[in-house]
Amino acid sequence: MDIIFKIIAIGLITCIATIIIKPIRSDFSIIIAIVGGLIIIFMIVNYLTDVFDSFKSIINLTGLNSELYKILLKIIGVGYLIEFTVGICSDTGNSSLGDKVLLGGKIIIMVMALPIITTILQIIMELLPT
Amino acid sequence: MEVEIIFKIAAIGLLTAIVGQILKQAGKDEISTLATMAGLIIVLIMVLNLIADLFVTLKTIFNF
Repeated sequence: MDIIFKIIAIGLITCIATIIIKPIRSDFSIIIAIVGGLIIIFMIVNYLTDVFDSFKSIINLTGLNSELYKILLKIIGVGYLIEFTVGICSDTGNSSLGDKVLLGGKIIIMVMALPIITTILQIIMELLPT
Repeated sequence: MEVEIIFKIAAIGLLTAIVGQILKQAGKDEISTLATMAGLIIVLIMVLNLIADLFVTLKTIFNF
């Protein structure tokens, strides 16, 4: 688990580089911050796959429908991506644009979650005595 | 795919700033603008590659 030191070092280096570059070229400092964030995400992506693999084995043990698990995974991915983008937007000073991206992400997650809700409703309807 | 891309971008920023200043001092304003623009575009292409990589990796992980 010494990757945490790498992540901390990359964060600090990115901060220092942005501080050095900002008075010279302020547009490059934003790009450096974005790239630092991307590098950190690339470093943790492998651990994310491990987590999802163990999730999948747990889901297989419970015998639930694997379609539900896939939907859940997609929703988590959309959440991470939207958070990353909103962070970049507010870093560059466009926080209202970030809010719109957030709204879009919420609506997409809602649309993705609709099959789960309909499944729950169908189960309830089957349980109800007619 | 490591830390050096941060240093690369910072170095390109410094270089283009210096080149732009020198060209401006020499009285070639239009070439200085072009040089600055070229640096920005190079860096943007590097960042675009990174973002494309990110999208591909996330698509494979989250089974999109």
